[in-house]
Amino acid sequence: MPQRRTLVASAIVVLLLALLPLSGSRYAVDLATEVLIYALFALSLNVVIGFTGNISFGHAAYFAIGGYACAILLTTYDWPLAVSLPAAVVLAGLVAAAVGYFCVRLTQIYFAMLTLAFAMLVWGVAFKWKEVTGGDDGFTGIKLPAMLAHHVGYFYFTLAVVAAGVAALWVICHSAFGLTLVAVRENAVRAGFIGVDTRRMRWAAFTVAGTFGGLAGALFGMYHRGMYIENAFWTESANVLIMVLLGGIYSFVGPIFGAAALHLLQTFTNQYTPYWPTVLGLILLVIVLVLPDGLIGLAARFKAHRGARRGRT
Amino acid sequence: MKYSVILAALGVLGAGSAVAQQPPIKIGVLYPLTGGGAVYGVPALAGHQLAIEELNAKGGIMGRKIESIERDDKLNPATASSTMKELITKDKVDIVLGGLASSVGLAMSEVSKQEKVVYISTVPKSIQITTDKLHKYVFRTSANTDQEGDTMAMLAGRNKLGKICHLELDYAYGNDLEVGILKAMPKYAPDAKIVLTLKPKLGATDFNPFIPQVMAAGCDGVLSGLWGPHFVSWVKQAAPLGFFNKIKWISGGEVGSHEIAGELKGEYPDNVISNTYELWYHGNDPSHAAFQAKLAKKLNTQETPQWAALGYIGVMYTAAAMEKAKSTEADKVAEALEGLSIGTPVGKLTIDAKTHQANIGQFWGPMVKKPDRAYRMMEPAEYIQPK
Repeated sequence: MPQRRTLVASAIVVLLLALLPLSGSRYAVDLATEVLIYALFALSLNVVIGFTGNISFGHAAYFAIGGYACAILLTTYDWPLAVSLPAAVVLAGLVAAAVGYFCVRLTQIYFAMLTLAFAMLVWGVAFKWKEVTGGDDGFTGIKLPAMLAHHVGYFYFTLAVVAAGVAALWVICHSAFGLTLVAVRENAVRAGFIGVDTRRMRWAAFTVAGTFGGLAGALFGMYHRGMYIENAFWTESANVLIMVLLGGIYSFVGPIFGAAALHLLQTFTNQYTPYWPTVLGLILLVIVLVLPDGLIGLAARFKAHRGARRGRT
Repeated sequence: MKYSVILAALGVLGAGSAVAQQPPIKIGVLYPLTGGGAVYGVPALAGHQLAIEELNAKGGIMGRKIESIERDDKLNPATASSTMKELITKDKVDIVLGGLASSVGLAMSEVSKQEKVVYISTVPKSIQITTDKLHKYVFRTSANTDQEGDTMAMLAGRNKLGKICHLELDYAYGNDLEVGILKAMPKYAPDAKIVLTLKPKLGATDFNPFIPQVMAAGCDGVLSGLWGPHFVSWVKQAAPLGFFNKIKWISGGEVGSHEIAGELKGEYPDNVISNTYELWYHGNDPSHAAFQAKLAKKLNTQETPQWAALGYIGVMYTAAAMEKAKSTEADKVAEALEGLSIGTPVGKLTIDAKTHQANIGQFWGPMVKKPDRAYRMMEPAEYIQPK
């Protein structure tokens, strides 16, 4: 069970976010919606990266499947949201399970390459299946219930879904299952010796990641009222990977901070210069050279440093 | 007493400046400014800026200065969607222009529909923007794939092509252009037969698998949608085989523009008939010379790129619509744009009240060698405008 302190802190964060629309700034509400969606996306990827220790280079695939499926069910088939959204999430999870079945047979670079290959396959389907996905024109004009058509309504919807998603991921990652994953990450051979089916554990983690990635994708598509093949492209996978690395892979909340920092930085940079890739390159350099454990690691080190100094005086 | 006089004076001053200083009209614009699309986006933005500079020198729109807010769309529809929302909600722009890729144009149109802000699509050709996905607030001042396809079919008929090979890139623009051509073929070239259709990938650089197929098919003409770098690669690989000796190459995708002629120079092949929105060396309207001179000064080159005209026309339509509506309100500007005619460097244009499509034409003609030039030029350049 979560500690009382964690529960109170999370409740305060959600409450503060819920007050945001009172600021009256439409821009802030939209930006917060985007950050929430990316936070869930990054958090879902970290189940694979942080907890099983394997880098996935194709996480955008499940994001895109969730997004396209929800969009198509809502718009082409006119299904209600209460059915479309769960169906899209389940579909993303099923595809992740099928892909994961093959991917977890490999580790490290081979695992990363295989996830990338499957993701590009998804991209190919979205591109070629023009009648259903709209091809490279994208799938626009997604129908939404009137309640969610307003930006504040959609913000609260996103907040509720993301909060529920984060809570679910918290429970999963801190359960016996999550701790077993950490054991597999730290020493797969030893974990195997004490009777853990490491491959199955990693398969389950991959499926969980894909499922929540699909949820983030569905929220994204509805927010933009459109899904585009670019959302399935490897650059999107790389983007979310950088979010996770920036935040810190060894902490549960790290990816949330990474997603917020990277997305806000990208948005604000774009207001002044089109040369975001240069900034991104510098960020990557800093992560690799100075912040191997991300922003959370930096905060922890800072705290430890201060604690040590206080201890001396 | 003294203070109250000063306060009163300040009040008068304040009131005076409030009347004189109306807030500027904000025009938001998105073009690809980095990466592969920048070759088109940067010149389009130059034309956009030129128009705003000219208008501001004349006192702006309705006496209000124009503020230009320019952003990179990164050729990515999701980025364009977020950025356009930001322009509307944070910067409070009155109208949004631009886009280049079809998907970006459609994404921007979607935001325009949701936010009820006018969007003028200045470069995207996707037919959907003005058909299936048409709504009150979206307008287009560039050509569309139906217009381009119609002209290409007409040229196939005029050049008496019998057996035709059809080349399109396998993505939205190529597929849409193919539909446009096939629709118009029975009208202009009822006896012509398409004997081979090939669809290389977008971004393809190696056309060696395709070239022998076209040469073996025995067609007397090619209808092609291979634009920019695709056309350049095809020429470099096919011309040494004598490909262009017998085959007439009728191409959309603006490979008749000076940008392509200047890039290929002496390698530009014979028998090419293609299009361009604008030519720096030839105009169809008296105002073209002045426009081109100003653009040449701004870009510091005599041989100016065609895309600038599209950026320029978008701003000119914005100004004309706001002046006509006497307002910057989206509903009134949208109504003013319907059926609006303005003079542009490529002649008088009218936006259709129903389809929201401007009847912009393109220059079409054969690319010929000139004795005193290192590059080919279009001659005679015929301005073909949709009816």
